[in-house]
Amino acid sequence: MEWLTPWIGVYAAAVAVPLLLLLYFLKLKRQEVVVSSTLLWKRAVQDLQVNAPFQRLRRNLLLLLQLLALAAVLLSLAGPVLAWKGKPGKRYVLLIDRSASMNATDVTPSRLDEAKRQARVFIESMQSGSIVSLRDKSDNAMIVAFDRHAKVMCGFTPDKRQLMAALNAIEPADGESELSEAITVARAFAQAPGVEGNIRSAEQPAQLVLFSDGRIDDLGAIVVAPDEIEFHQIGQSQDNVAITAMDARRSYEQPEQVEVFASLENCGTQPVTRDVQLGINGNVHAVRSVAIPACEEPKAGKPWAPGKAGVNFSLSFAGAGVLEVRQLGSDALSCDDAAWCILAPPKRLSVLLVTAGNPVLESVLEACPIATVDPCTPAGFDAMDEAAFAARRPYDVIVLDNHVPAHLPPCRYLVFGPPPRGIDVNSPRELENQVIVDWRAQHPVLQYVNLTTLFAARSHQLLLPRDAEVLAEFNDSPAVALLRRNARTYLLVGFEVLQSNWPFEPSFVLFCYNAVAFLGAQTGGGEQRKLDVGEPISVEDVPAEAAVTITRPDASKVELKPDPAGTVRFPGTQRVGIYTVNIPNSPARAYAVNLLDSAESRIEPQKEISFSTVTVAAQEGAVQRANVPLWPCLVFGALVLACLEWLAYNRRVRI
Amino acid sequence: MAARLRTSVRKLSELLDARFMARLDGIDVLSRKILQGKLQGERRSKRRGQSVEFADHRPYVVGDDLRFVDWNIYGRLNQLFLKLFLEEQDLTVHILADTSASMGEGNPSKELFTKKLTAALGYIGLVNNNRLTISLFADGVRTQLANMRGRQYLSQMAELLLTAESDGFSDFEKACRDVAAGRIGTGVTIVISDFLFKQGYEAALRRLIGARYDLYVIQVLSPQEISPELTGDLKLLDIEDMDAAEITVSSALIKYYKRNLAAYCNELQDFCRHRDAAYVRANSADSVEALVLNYLRRIQLLR
Repeated sequence: MEWLTPWIGVYAAAVAVPLLLLLYFLKLKRQEVVVSSTLLWKRAVQDLQVNAPFQRLRRNLLLLLQLLALAAVLLSLAGPVLAWKGKPGKRYVLLIDRSASMNATDVTPSRLDEAKRQARVFIESMQSGSIVSLRDKSDNAMIVAFDRHAKVMCGFTPDKRQLMAALNAIEPADGESELSEAITVARAFAQAPGVEGNIRSAEQPAQLVLFSDGRIDDLGAIVVAPDEIEFHQIGQSQDNVAITAMDARRSYEQPEQVEVFASLENCGTQPVTRDVQLGINGNVHAVRSVAIPACEEPKAGKPWAPGKAGVNFSLSFAGAGVLEVRQLGSDALSCDDAAWCILAPPKRLSVLLVTAGNPVLESVLEACPIATVDPCTPAGFDAMDEAAFAARRPYDVIVLDNHVPAHLPPCRYLVFGPPPRGIDVNSPRELENQVIVDWRAQHPVLQYVNLTTLFAARSHQLLLPRDAEVLAEFNDSPAVALLRRNARTYLLVGFEVLQSNWPFEPSFVLFCYNAVAFLGAQTGGGEQRKLDVGEPISVEDVPAEAAVTITRPDASKVELKPDPAGTVRFPGTQRVGIYTVNIPNSPARAYAVNLLDSAESRIEPQKEISFSTVTVAAQEGAVQRANVPLWPCLVFGALVLACLEWLAYNRRVRI
Repeated sequence: MAARLRTSVRKLSELLDARFMARLDGIDVLSRKILQGKLQGERRSKRRGQSVEFADHRPYVVGDDLRFVDWNIYGRLNQLFLKLFLEEQDLTVHILADTSASMGEGNPSKELFTKKLTAALGYIGLVNNNRLTISLFADGVRTQLANMRGRQYLSQMAELLLTAESDGFSDFEKACRDVAAGRIGTGVTIVISDFLFKQGYEAALRRLIGARYDLYVIQVLSPQEISPELTGDLKLLDIEDMDAAEITVSSALIKYYKRNLAAYCNELQDFCRHRDAAYVRANSADSVEALVLNYLRRIQLLR
């Protein structure tokens, strides 16, 4: 037996028991009565005392009974619980949608709170066994909260208190809604055998209960049995104006000019006019009024489409900052009313080229839009003061051409030829006549780079550690690889440029351009700064043992430490807004997390949801309580009886 | 004389109502001792004495039966004398009434009952020309009206009874001592009390028992003493000596109290029976009329 709230019982006992004893002894105040003679009374008392043991027992019996009654009440206050693994009754899996559309406030306080309330009522109305009827079946329930991923809040349990606590712990998020993962998880839990092994999987499958507004993206890919899922629809209105696309670009010719583009959608049935405001670093820069037409109802052949409108801003801004496009005017869903973008300063990189003499590389690098290319001899590079270099950081990228340096100052490296020592890369032998067999065309470094005709006469075999990213492969060895070690990034090309036919390929220029831009972007030029909800924030090249602080949009802070490779990963980007990463001795970096999802901004609640094989209609009416607790009436009755008994006692005190 | 008669009747009517008094007129006190004494070895006769054996004269008092007037003496001396026959010897009625503080308790009050009973018995005694002595006692005899004979003393008796107050300690033995010493002749001693004496009653009553006097013990108890209605935790105070008894009333205690009361009364009854005294137990809620007219006749105190 366990005690759920033992201290309440202890405190109550400390107060009530002395009080009772005091009352009991205070009660023995005698009333004075004059009688004609105490002769016979005294004899009666003496006779009574002859039978004293029984009388003392009777008086103590009363006190004992009262103490027992008080003890029973106090023990019940401490909440004793018998962990009884009774026969399970029905099993339910409650699926709570916590995507962005569930934050709409058309149902007060929000759709998610309404879903939680209905789930609470559902849990309370579940049958539960009691200590008196141990043979009764008790219903088990499980709670899964999902947006794009499913999170199990509570496993199968009949304990209502645990379920309520798990329900209250569901936090709202701004993600998209996908149900497939949630259903997979629910089914996995529902069919798993129980701990004792006597819950057979031949038990009827658990009933899935979905609390959502019906706006789920991947319904067509899910297969459910006709009665397996019960859908409770939450939400009423469909009016919403959302920003569904936003971008900010610096003009290539004039880097100080910034073009900002945003696209708005109106999901309501009335056309609206909204003011759209552009802000930089918190200051309002421009406001424009935009008229957005109403949505188009589905007609013959044409599906439902929201009313769309676009807005452009041009401004001149040479610094770095956070751009915010916000539509003024409140509607049901607020997380799609604003979008952010991190604007990088028009930065040009400075590159150090360490080579014994390579006109190809020099000319290619000069062709790239780089601020400076400083050539340096290998000897000169080795003679450089590492400490001074680390302090000043004059260069963004160091290109090593066929040179294995003695020491590696902290920087980003593009290495042609033999890999540097001390970075867990071995090059045991040289290979001949290598041809590229495969490359990762989606990687930013190899964007628009076609390596089909690349041929290397001589190349170094690269034996890479496991966490190296292979970008292109020869048939015997990796050709191009990306590696991070000791807060330094290395883009390794296993062959010398002049030992291959690459200089004659147009892809070489593009590769160099991409590589320098990619490596240079690692310093803070805007690497993956614009994220979707749920995408993790990833910060590279953080010195070890630095305490990194991440500030969320709601001003709460999280402290993280980098892993041995110098990377900090933060996955908790559940809400839209600006996340600020503070690294000691570095300027703060901002990351923008946007919703920008047309499907999620359409908050119209669905009356029925269509899976791939069945269509499930929403339940009529909200979840009603199935059973009303009667114990308050009984307790009140007990109180009334106690008062009556006290009255009767005071009238005729004869035990 | 008429005015005196009226005054006495009015005062006495506070204790005895007129109808009761009318009925009391036909009753006389009976003494078994006298009968026994005089008729030793012979059968007792209950008949009212009409024998020819002339014994004594006594002066006439207003209200006496005119049939027994000795007209010869009247003719000679011009004074009325009554003839007393052998059976009719002078009977002294001695009434001891308890007026201690304990008699004042009770509802209806024992004091009133005692006074009414004393008045009734005294009336009978005076009306039948018996010698009457009323002693009111608490700690010893407090007030006494001795050797009253005839109706003219009715007012005095009424005055005594009506002004008496129940007050003071009980010393029954002293009272009995005082009374026993002053008794003359033969007669009847009637003790009216609740007999709840802490010092006991046996020694005292023994003094009252004698060859010449019948002893009648009338114990008067109030309904509250017979069946107490007390509840709760109480501290009982004795009204006479303020002695305290702390009790917690329970059904067991009441049971023991009643048992003790019954034992006490039975003990008194046995004591009386063994000493050839008569015992009467009365409840102050009973009617004095019923007691006098029915019960006391039945036990042959009255005739």
